[in-house]
Amino acid sequence: MMMILTSIPPKDEFFKTIIYLLDTYGSFFIRGVLITLLLSVVGTVGGFILSLFLTIIRNQDIDYKRDSWFEIAIKKLGIGFTKVYITVFRGTPMIVQAMIFYYGIAPLRLSFWNPLVAGLVVVTLNTTAYIAEVIRSGINGIDKGQMEAARSLGFSKRQSMFKVIFPQAIKNSLPAIGNEFIVNLKDTAVLSVIGVFDLFKATQSATSSNYRPVEGFFIAAVIYLILTFITSKLVDHLEHKKVKVVNVNA
Amino acid sequence: MLMPEVILEIKNIHKKFDDQVVLNGINLDIHEQEVVSIIGSSGSGKTTLLRCLNLLNEPDDGHILFLGEDLMDPKVNLDHLRMRMGMVFQSFNLFNHQTVMDNCIMAPISLLKMKKEEAIQKAQILLEKVGMKRFEQVPVTQLSGGQKQRVAIARALMMNPKIMLFDEPTSALDPEMVGEVLSVIKDLAKEGMTMVIVTHEMDFAKEVSNRIIFMDQGVIAESGTPNELFKNPKEERTKAFLKRYAHERLI
Repeated sequence: MMMILTSIPPKDEFFKTIIYLLDTYGSFFIRGVLITLLLSVVGTVGGFILSLFLTIIRNQDIDYKRDSWFEIAIKKLGIGFTKVYITVFRGTPMIVQAMIFYYGIAPLRLSFWNPLVAGLVVVTLNTTAYIAEVIRSGINGIDKGQMEAARSLGFSKRQSMFKVIFPQAIKNSLPAIGNEFIVNLKDTAVLSVIGVFDLFKATQSATSSNYRPVEGFFIAAVIYLILTFITSKLVDHLEHKKVKVVNVNA
Repeated sequence: MLMPEVILEIKNIHKKFDDQVVLNGINLDIHEQEVVSIIGSSGSGKTTLLRCLNLLNEPDDGHILFLGEDLMDPKVNLDHLRMRMGMVFQSFNLFNHQTVMDNCIMAPISLLKMKKEEAIQKAQILLEKVGMKRFEQVPVTQLSGGQKQRVAIARALMMNPKIMLFDEPTSALDPEMVGEVLSVIKDLAKEGMTMVIVTHEMDFAKEVSNRIIFMDQGVIAESGTPNELFKNPKEERTKAFLKRYAHERLI
């Protein structure tokens, strides 16, 4: 009996193999899940915050009559930067971004630079670009009378953005931002390419010496599914809350 | 007779949208406590003129002097001047994420540095005046059009404006709600508020205004007291417009 528990079951024993993997490599899977969650949470929250900065820069109006040439130059530079940023990060695979960042910065021999830090940076920068687009469409969905009313009261363009436009645009964008979190749960698997010990990498490690990838990744699939399922239920709940407000108003 | 002080002086403003000339040299003085209504068919430029007065639309040329400062001067603090000009929009434009009360107090608290308690007190007085006090905690999205417009008027009044600009304030309302909004505006007129009103409500304009401006094709075609303009129009196009309007009303 002792022998069966500690040694690997035969190839055709699918479920026994799964139990064996969980029993032997449980700590791998737990650590992998935690890293995947960390990447997704930091990526989505960090991406959300950075995307607000990006949105503010991108939404600046150039007033050729009132701005100095210096202000105009700075604004143009900023707007150009946001456009390039979003195009580049949405237009290239995150796996490629990870390679360039990790190996590009590694030669600087920064003491804090390791695969996990590189992974956190890449997922955050990548998510920033996507959420910036989400917020942009949220802003486009706000009636332009809202901005005009704020300006007519004496709010500056920036004050109007912060006090009137953002609160509404972000509220409308919350479900889509939740979806970005779900995407991150799954897509951070590619960060294993630079050695981040996420759920994908953990599963690879757990199955490399015994060569049982199907059983191992079956476990990973179930865990990913549980994570995304719970999150999508939470997002649905958020969306429902929004719909409910609208119904009360009608 | 001593003329009251001019608070808004519009000098020769021009405005084009692309190649379309919308305002073609408008001159107009608005005196303190005066109520001026702008009428004219759609496309005559009346809404654009009103929106030029606080530079929501920026004229291509001309000057707009308000409280001694030229809004068209690039060095002038436009936001600061706008605080003294209230505006009421056709589509209300209340801040949809807020309650009635928050709509009223946000601007005075953050722009005039009014204390919150003071702002709430003032808002309660103004909401009482427009008959919306019992709705103060209601999200604005739950209000009817007429209620929204009355809150919008209270919100503008919170800033103690020297002048109020009304852009077709009843055009988006169901007919049964027009009266409640017009009566609020009439009350303001009685209190001596300086107002410029773009409107299609001829009877209201006749009743509330000191002066009527008739606009046609980007210029002021005729202006005068309600009596002069409605009873004795001089210009052919004014006559045609009024006739068309009277005819439409009979149908």
